[in-house]
Amino acid sequence: MFYKNLLDPWIILPTILFALFVVPVIWIISSLFGDYSDNWTHIYNYTLSNYIYNTIFIIIGTSIGTLIIGVGSAWLVTTYNFTGKNILEWALLLPFAVPPYILAYTFTGLFDSYGTANNLIRDIFSLPHEFIFFPKLRNVYGAAIVFSFTLYPYVYLVSRMAFINQSRSILEVGRTLGFSKFQVFYKLGIPSIRPAIIAGLMLVLMETISDFGAVEHFSVNTFTTGIFSAWFGLYDFHTAKQLAALLLIVVITFLILEKYSRRKNRYSSGSNVFSPIAAEKLKGSKNIFASLFCTIPVFIGFVLPNIQLAYWALNYKLDFFNEKFITTAWNTFYLAILTAIICAVLAIIINFSIRYRKNKILNILSSFLTVGYAVPGLILALGVSQLLVFMDNLLFREYLEFVLTGSLVGLILAFVIKSFALANSTIESGFLRINNRLDDVAKTLNTSGWKLLTQIHLPLLTTSFLTSMILVVSEVIKELPASLILRPFNYDTLAISTYIYAAEERMFDAAAPSIAIVGVGLLPIIILSRLIVKSRPGYRNNDNHYQSY
Amino acid sequence: MTEIILEIKNLRHSFNTDMEVLKGINLNVSRGEIVSILGPSGCGKTTLLRIIAGLENQSGGTVNISDTIVSDSKNFVPTEKRDIGLVVQERALFPHLTIIKNVEFGLKGRRDEKYKTALNLLKLFKVDVYANNYPHEISSGEQQRVAMARAMAPNPKILLMDEPFGALDHALKSELRDETKKIFKDNGTTAIIVSHDFEDAISMSDHVLIIDDGLVAQEGPAKDLIPITRNNSFKIA
Amino acid sequence: MNLITRILQVSMAVLIFSASSFANEVNLYSGRHYDSDEKLYSKFTAETGIKVNVVSGKGKALMQQIITEGNSSPADLFVTVDAGNLWKAQKEGLFQKITSSTVDSVVPKNLRGPNNEWVALAKRARIMYYNPRTVTEAELDGLTYEDLANPEWNGRVVIRKSSNMYNQSLVASLVANHGVDATETWANELVANMARKPEGNDRAQIMAVANGEADIAVANSYYIALMLSGKKGTEQQAAANKVVPFFPSQNGRGTHINVSGIGLLKGPNTHNAVKLIDFLLSEEAQNHIVKNSFEYPIRDGVNAHPLIAQFGTDFKQDQTPVSSYGEFNPDAVKLMERAGW
Repeated sequence: MFYKNLLDPWIILPTILFALFVVPVIWIISSLFGDYSDNWTHIYNYTLSNYIYNTIFIIIGTSIGTLIIGVGSAWLVTTYNFTGKNILEWALLLPFAVPPYILAYTFTGLFDSYGTANNLIRDIFSLPHEFIFFPKLRNVYGAAIVFSFTLYPYVYLVSRMAFINQSRSILEVGRTLGFSKFQVFYKLGIPSIRPAIIAGLMLVLMETISDFGAVEHFSVNTFTTGIFSAWFGLYDFHTAKQLAALLLIVVITFLILEKYSRRKNRYSSGSNVFSPIAAEKLKGSKNIFASLFCTIPVFIGFVLPNIQLAYWALNYKLDFFNEKFITTAWNTFYLAILTAIICAVLAIIINFSIRYRKNKILNILSSFLTVGYAVPGLILALGVSQLLVFMDNLLFREYLEFVLTGSLVGLILAFVIKSFALANSTIESGFLRINNRLDDVAKTLNTSGWKLLTQIHLPLLTTSFLTSMILVVSEVIKELPASLILRPFNYDTLAISTYIYAAEERMFDAAAPSIAIVGVGLLPIIILSRLIVKSRPGYRNNDNHYQSY
Repeated sequence: MTEIILEIKNLRHSFNTDMEVLKGINLNVSRGEIVSILGPSGCGKTTLLRIIAGLENQSGGTVNISDTIVSDSKNFVPTEKRDIGLVVQERALFPHLTIIKNVEFGLKGRRDEKYKTALNLLKLFKVDVYANNYPHEISSGEQQRVAMARAMAPNPKILLMDEPFGALDHALKSELRDETKKIFKDNGTTAIIVSHDFEDAISMSDHVLIIDDGLVAQEGPAKDLIPITRNNSFKIA
Repeated sequence: MNLITRILQVSMAVLIFSASSFANEVNLYSGRHYDSDEKLYSKFTAETGIKVNVVSGKGKALMQQIITEGNSSPADLFVTVDAGNLWKAQKEGLFQKITSSTVDSVVPKNLRGPNNEWVALAKRARIMYYNPRTVTEAELDGLTYEDLANPEWNGRVVIRKSSNMYNQSLVASLVANHGVDATETWANELVANMARKPEGNDRAQIMAVANGEADIAVANSYYIALMLSGKKGTEQQAAANKVVPFFPSQNGRGTHINVSGIGLLKGPNTHNAVKLIDFLLSEEAQNHIVKNSFEYPIRDGVNAHPLIAQFGTDFKQDQTPVSSYGEFNPDAVKLMERAGW
């Protein structure tokens, strides 16, 4: 069958696109076929087990944390009415704007032995100088806490969407069976949206694995700090690349397993008429519990770090907000939007091809692009560099005046590879929610692939499209390492300003740009979540039908 | 001599190598004829319909529409070029389009002409008052009427219906069946109805096939069909 | 979708134009991040009309980028805050000889590359900070880095993690003088003496001594001045007044020195690049650098900032060639990792 389709544009186009974007990832993996230096003996004997142990510990801790916060809060705001719900249902997304490393910096500023919070406690209760109230955070527990409170929105967002689309009858059956509220939640609510939760969790884990800033600040050795230790300390870039490649292989295995595990519902139909869940009003202690449960993540993940940052910025460094800031903020914003659009379009084309032509090869291969999210940014950046230099030498030097190396193309390419997974997971689940019968019927109505995509799928994907924009925009605004070496001369983004100071732990200098990152990230989150509410089909006729988030 | 619209010869299909769902089906449908395909769940009747529609590609055998081979071992005409209409149990109305836009979807030509054709069909199915509503705003019986209007709009050579009345309650069903049959006959529509419901077959169709275990178990005029209440199946007298 | 296509088209145009550049310029890859450096480059542009283009990042990442870019690299100069990177870049063959009379006359021989491929721009010392209430004169007498491994310092020492390059350079210098085995024994004993698991930056170590968590810390010289200046808040200013800086190994090899340096790459604007190096070694620029970063100047006749100069500038400096830091850096990292530093 496949050879017949070789000339089919719905196979050729995504395959070419795919090939281009996947080159840097392949470049990293290919290092495994090279020589292995003596440094491997050292790593294997002395450091590897520690890297692996810490990484697994953080992964497990973060999974538990994000699941409890993300799924729990999504369930509460979807099925119940309680005090503050209308604000909390979108405020729960705010920690999206706070990168893990910034939360880590503010945490140590607050909770270190002589940090602001400990000083405050000592002052209030007139305690001796040696008294330390808050436990130490610079360890694997602290890292898991930081990741949980900054990354849970991924789980919250997908769970919330899935709960909204979940059949109301399942839950009503549960209540008639005499289940308690909590039983309905974990016996019916969770199992019915498990694929969505796992997809959200995969994003959390990939981001956790690739993080360098937060764990380095906490002095916790993970696999990724190991990569940088090999590179920066042992001066051995090749071994660093091989370590990164190993990490990628593990992640790819997980991605493929995840795909395999839900192959059965791959082409299952989604409902095309939304059946809303009627929210139940909570009273008394249950009301207080629900409010607190949803307020605490927003407070720890968003309010607290911003208070600390504002304090630093106001006291030490406000001159960051000058005319140069406008350029920097604009650069950041522009790159973020552009990357988000490219990622979404790419994800739509690839997923459409998989759906329309049942392109199984592309389906597996797209995992290799998704995996870009787990690559430490600096390594990925060098992969992109390699590709650009190659293309420059091959094409542009010969025929054209300009070069790609050192242009924004590299930066955007790196961002797209880094954040494709975010767009892909939302677009993919968006496609899954479109009933396959619509495609069947549309095909009988003289509908070409292009018409099916533009007139049926795209309108129904609006919500997913906007959601993917939110995810990618906030990721690009936060993303540091790629922007550092790939950016053109004199090209500053907010993450660069923050990073330059924060890398040297000059927190007072980093505070103002950090606040700017949060602020600029906030804008698209708010705008897009408003748009999402309006974009639901039939929204204007049926206000109560589709709940906002 | 009636014109043969659909001709199926020795159709075989298996999903995995060892699981054969269709084991050699033969079927002829003439112009203006309404044929019911009956059988228990999992007998392969829906697969047969999907193969006719070109939504699945069979393992063996030939499908001809109007004397043209649309699929055999060498040829495959994609769904959109087969000139067929499809109605499914879930209706599958496009949720982001109004009722009238749903019916216009498969039509080509000038906007006002498309509108006129679509509106006429909606009138025929008595749902024209909802022309500017969205699918989720009307009942499932009304949605099914729209789905049939939409399938008939491009005037397909053959209309394929998969459990078209399955989701409706009893009273609604018989009303809609009678009206639909009248519309089809007035219009000269050729249709295949896949169903597990004896009444669908007897009230709608001219000819009936009973499929069991991937083969045509029985075949004959619809009026000769009798139910066997004992095990909830049927036979042709 | 049409709108999206338009946006993409326009963006591509913008991208490609942004890659084009000016003629009279010099391109700098910098691993040194001070706001004050930017002002210095502006001054250079004002004086010479040569535009300074900067990409900043981590030293090693920038170096790898230069290697990847190969012959097509636009970079003319590589600035770093660590001698190890300069050695590595030189070994990779990325540099070319700087032909400049200023370099020959101003920079001492141990602070340049073997063939003048790179030169130091400023010096910093890795010194100790002690709590005068808990550390006695006798304990300080003749104290060396090596001595911190002695049993009397058990539970009293703080120093940051082994992943930090200043520590890597310090330990590499010890490897250069004592060999791997002796240094590893030392590292094991030092780790046993630590008051806490290594965490935080150099200033955090000084704060730990000020707060009584430890008695002695190892950190770079300029931090005390930075903290005393009040730029980092009154809290740190107060802490800085509770500790006393100490220059170790004065009876031995001398205090460990590291450099910020600049290397000449094989880029397209070599002539302009040499001009910038000369400028950075000028009295004006050296004054600017030491005034803002509290480092020690390279050029004679320029004085360190009073906040750091008050602790003395004529201390004995370790003459171990700074280029050996790079050579022994991998050994240093490995032995520190083995020691669980």
